[in-house]
Order: sequence, then structure tokens, then C-alpha cells
Amino acid sequence: MSIASEAAVRNVNVSQCVAEAINLEMDRDASVVMLGEDIGRSGGVFGTTRGLQRQFGPDRVRDTPISEMAFTGMAVGLAMEGYRPIVEIMFVDFIGVCLEQVYNAAAKIPYMTGGAVKMPIVFKTAGGCIGSAAQHSQCLWGLFAHLPGMRIVVPSSPYDYKGMMAAAIDSDDPVVFIEHKGLLLRKAGSFAHGREVPRERYLAALDRAAVLRPGSDVTLVTLSLTVGESLAAAAVLADEGISVEVIDLRSVVPLDFDTICASVAKTGRLLVVDEDYLGFGLSGEIVTGAVERVGTSAVRHVLRHGVPDVPVPAALSLEQQIVPRQASIERAVRKLASRS
Amino acid sequence: MSTLTLRDRYLAMVRMRRFEEACLAGVADREIHGEVHLGIGQEAIAAGLLGYLTDEDALVSTHRNHLHALAKGVPMYPLMAEIFEKRTGLCGGFGGHMHIFDLPRRFSTTGIVGSTLPVALGHAYAARLSGRASVAVGVTGDGGANAGGFHESLNIAGSLRLPLVVLIENNEWAISVPFEESTATATLAERAVSYRAWGKRVDGLDVLAVASAFGEAVDYARSGLGPAVLEATCYRFRGHYEGDPDMYRPAGDRDARRRDRDPLLITRESVVVEGGADPVSLAQEEQAIADEVDTVLAAVRRDLMPDGMQARDHVFTRGTAR
Repeated sequence: MSIASEAAVRNVNVSQCVAEAINLEMDRDASVVMLGEDIGRSGGVFGTTRGLQRQFGPDRVRDTPISEMAFTGMAVGLAMEGYRPIVEIMFVDFIGVCLEQVYNAAAKIPYMTGGAVKMPIVFKTAGGCIGSAAQHSQCLWGLFAHLPGMRIVVPSSPYDYKGMMAAAIDSDDPVVFIEHKGLLLRKAGSFAHGREVPRERYLAALDRAAVLRPGSDVTLVTLSLTVGESLAAAAVLADEGISVEVIDLRSVVPLDFDTICASVAKTGRLLVVDEDYLGFGLSGEIVTGAVERVGTSAVRHVLRHGVPDVPVPAALSLEQQIVPRQASIERAVRKLASRS
Repeated sequence: MSTLTLRDRYLAMVRMRRFEEACLAGVADREIHGEVHLGIGQEAIAAGLLGYLTDEDALVSTHRNHLHALAKGVPMYPLMAEIFEKRTGLCGGFGGHMHIFDLPRRFSTTGIVGSTLPVALGHAYAARLSGRASVAVGVTGDGGANAGGFHESLNIAGSLRLPLVVLIENNEWAISVPFEESTATATLAERAVSYRAWGKRVDGLDVLAVASAFGEAVDYARSGLGPAVLEATCYRFRGHYEGDPDMYRPAGDRDARRRDRDPLLITRESVVVEGGADPVSLAQEEQAIADEVDTVLAAVRRDLMPDGMQARDHVFTRGTAR
């Protein structure tokens, strides 16, 4: 990192990047409105909506009762009226009480109407492990991704948190925007990638993966908080002589198989690191999709490193056994790289 | 108050009945290949809505939605074509009978019982945001009124005083479960007090009683006082869906009610006896309506299904899912 670009890193955390993006969109487009719990007066439990209600008023930044079924459905009605609602589901784990309006209405109405009705809704929600045990630690992007009709985006850097939130609000499709609780309060300067966040409005592509570190031995595909963990692991492994190509997925739906397959065709080894559950999920989808596209002769070895199919436990000693982090990622890469 | 006469409302009911019978023909001939829920016996409620709503007002209906669509002014041809899954339908055949959307008329439906009111609440909130004096009507049955969205939506509407009109068609049966067995209170209208809402229960076989009460409910909501709950009692004449063996209801009671308490016959008698209508001219108007529906049915039957190659279209506004 050069001295000039160090100077461009602002002293903001990721939540402030999200709030900045929403602020700029609400300012330029009066049809953008927000609904959710504790988003107004308190500015969001993670601070991602701080200052918005004071600036745009309680009607456009609506503190709702604990009634997710009603306010997710409100977004559907508002979208049919020409509004662009942003709905906050405080923790992604809470989606169980209101998935109905998300997957049966918002996600399907554009299709069910033959394209006549758009649903430009952003469902923003926080996932990820930070020691909050089984009901407040899930990622669940694989759950949403299984259901057709929603773009699923999962940024990993301050630059993408702001730019992808702006693009999500700008999108005419329903977008599920999944934040990681372990990233929201981190300062931009603490990131190894995407740490420079312009003050002005910009849009970051919603449907492209990014190669963050080139390598030749192993393709490591990951997303969200484990991107930073994987970059740190790759630096350690480079000293051991293992060259890891790290791909930040950014988008779960659609998956950027062009970028994934170009890398796998080069390395022949594919590791998926996923903080979501292993079974029936993203990691299996990526491995299968890559093999279908480049063939079993090109993909010589595959490995998945994710949360085994158990709920996330409370005690740190238990959590560390199942949640992918730098040390376990290093072990997974060594295991894969050792196969010839 | 609406200027529509009893005769106007009766003829609207005739149109609704003939429409549902056309759909029945589509089921019998297997032209409609999914399940269909008909509103036969519930026409007096839908016809009672006429004259109070404009395109500025929203109506969100259920799986049993054809009559509400007609009452909201959705044109018969593209409505029937969608029910028959044709490319000329409102949704090009992608929606089908449970998923009817007419955006310019602010009419939509959902096939998920209990999910109408949250969407209607969004329309009501849009009225607040835009400063329009419009209302949003959310329809539910007695079954859907026991889903959580009923409480959540009415509580929000009550606390924000939003112009939400909840129309409950209490047809006594949630598929096979009778109203008394599933509901804690004697009526659903009495729940209104919990939400600081206007509430009333009305005989849903009496089209003028429905019209009068619905007009009150709409006026109340439109004036900014908050939500209204109108419960209209009726009886589901047919099974839950076409093909339902319907063995769970006492057949004697069902047959007697269909024979003696048919809202179409009750209303016709009022038009003739109390309204003094000339039976000959009334019969001519009834025939003209039957002819109109037959003409639409014949045209819909000639229409094509959507091109199968389009099955992957419309998931996203641009790009593809995979």
C-alpha cells in the first residue's frame, strides 16, 4: 500500500459506509424508503442507518413494531406503488418469521406477472458468527439462494459495502444484502482490500466475483468475513511455497462461474470456504457448477470447508471447532495442495 | 354514498356468477390445469364493493379472487385469459388463477392464505407517503383472519392510523375446519376494538347491507381516522377447490343453503318484487350478460398458451439467474 493511497483511507467503519450509501440514494431519489426495527431513533443496532431518520424524517425511515410479516409485506405493496423500499431484518436468523413475503411475493411477483411488475426491494440483514450462538450467528445465504427470484449479495470490503448497497437500491430486482456482524464495526483502515471508500456516490457491480490475490496452486473461493481470513492465510501459505488464488464471490446469486472456472482451469484445485452450513448449500453448488463447466479432468481435486451441519454453539471452545477462520483455512489449503 | 341501484348491483352479481360458471367449464374440459377456487355464493359481497373505489385505491385479494377482480374493474377478457393460462392473460400465463395482477388498477392477489393484509398495508402506507386520500382494501377469509399477518397489519394500521380496510369474507369454512372451532370470539368484527379500528359485521348475502357498510368503512379509512374491519357472513357454495370431495360438511345443510339462501336468487327477488322490475326486460339483460361472458370464453379458448421457450424469462429484469 503506497503512502498516497494510505492517505485516501478514511477513518470510517463499515456500518458508516452502508449508512452513507443509503443516505446518498435517499437524497437523490424520493421513492427510496426504509422500514425496520430500531433503524430510526437508534440508527440501527449495528449503526448502518445512523442519522437517516433525522435527515429524512420518520415516514421515510420508519421504526416498525416487531412485526416482520407485516413490514416485509408492506415493502411488496410499496413496490407496487412505485417506491423502492429497503427493509431491515435485524439478524438474518429472524427471517424464519417472515420468509413468506420475501420468497413468495417479492421474489416471485416479477416472474408471476410475466415481467409486468417490478419489485425493487432491498432486504438488508446481518449474519455471521460473533459468539452469539445458535439463533444469532447464521449466514443463511444458501437458504435465500435456493429460492429463485432474488439477487443475493455478500460484500467483504468497505468499498463494496458502500458501492454494492448503492447498486442494490438502484437495482430493479429484489436484492438480499447480507452483512457480516464481524465486519460492520471494523474500521476501513484495518482491511487488506477495498479500504478506500470515496465520499461521493458510486455503484459497484452486483454480479461479479473479484480475484483479490493471484495464485497458481489452489483456487480458494470464499465470501464475506472469510475473504479477509483467506487473504491472511494465503500470505502465510506463500511463505510455505503454496500459491493460493483468492476469489471474493461478492455475489451468491448470480454466481460468477466465468471467474471461478478461469481460475480452476489454471490451478486444477478448488477449495470453497463458506461460513454457511455445508449441506445442500453454496459450497456444493460451486463445486458442482465448476465441474459441470470445466470437466472432471480439469478439476483434479476439490474440498469444502464450511460449518458442518450443526447449529452454532455458544462456548468459544466449541465455536472454534466449526467456524472457518484463518488457521482452519490454512489447514484446508495444505490438505488440498498436498494432493497430486 | 354510491349512486348504484339494487338492479345495477344485481346485474353485476349475474356477471360474476356467469364468469365463475365459465371457469367451471374450463375446469371440466381440463383447459385450466391447476386448482381453482370459485366464489359462487359470495357474489353479494363483491357486488357490494362497487362504486366506492377508484384506480387510486388498492385491493389485495386471496386465492378466491375472481369476483374481487371484477369488482375492482379488471377487464373480463385478460382476467379470464390468465385464469385459463393463456398468453393473452394479465400476466401472460405466468401467474394463473391465484396470481392475478393489474397494476394500473392497483389490484393484486396472493395464493398464500393470510398474506393479503401486509401487502394492502404497504398500499395504505404509500397513501400516507404520497399524501393521497386513497384507501387500501385487504381481503381475507375467516381462515386467513387467524394468521399472524392479520394482527401485525391491523396493529400497525391502528398505531399509524393508516387507511386500511380489512374485508373479511366469513364463509364459515377454512377448507374443512368450521369457524366456531377455530376462532375464540363469536365474531371477527369484534376484534376491531383491539386495533382502535372501526368494526362491523354484516349479512354478506344482502348486497345493499354490504354496500352500505363497505361505504362506511371506506369513508372512515379515507378520512384518516385509521383502519376499518368489515366482516361479511356468507357460505362457500362449492368445495374449497374444484374437485374437493367436500365430505366434511353436512350435505343436508349444504344443499339447503344453496337452495334457499342463494344471494343471486334473493337479490333477483328483491329487484322484481320490491324494485318492481319488469321480468321480461330483466331477463333480456341477464341474457345479454350471459352472451357477453360466452363471447369472452369462446375467444379465450381460441387463444394460445405462452411459448414454452419463455419459461426462463422474467426472473430478473436483466441478465439470467444462472
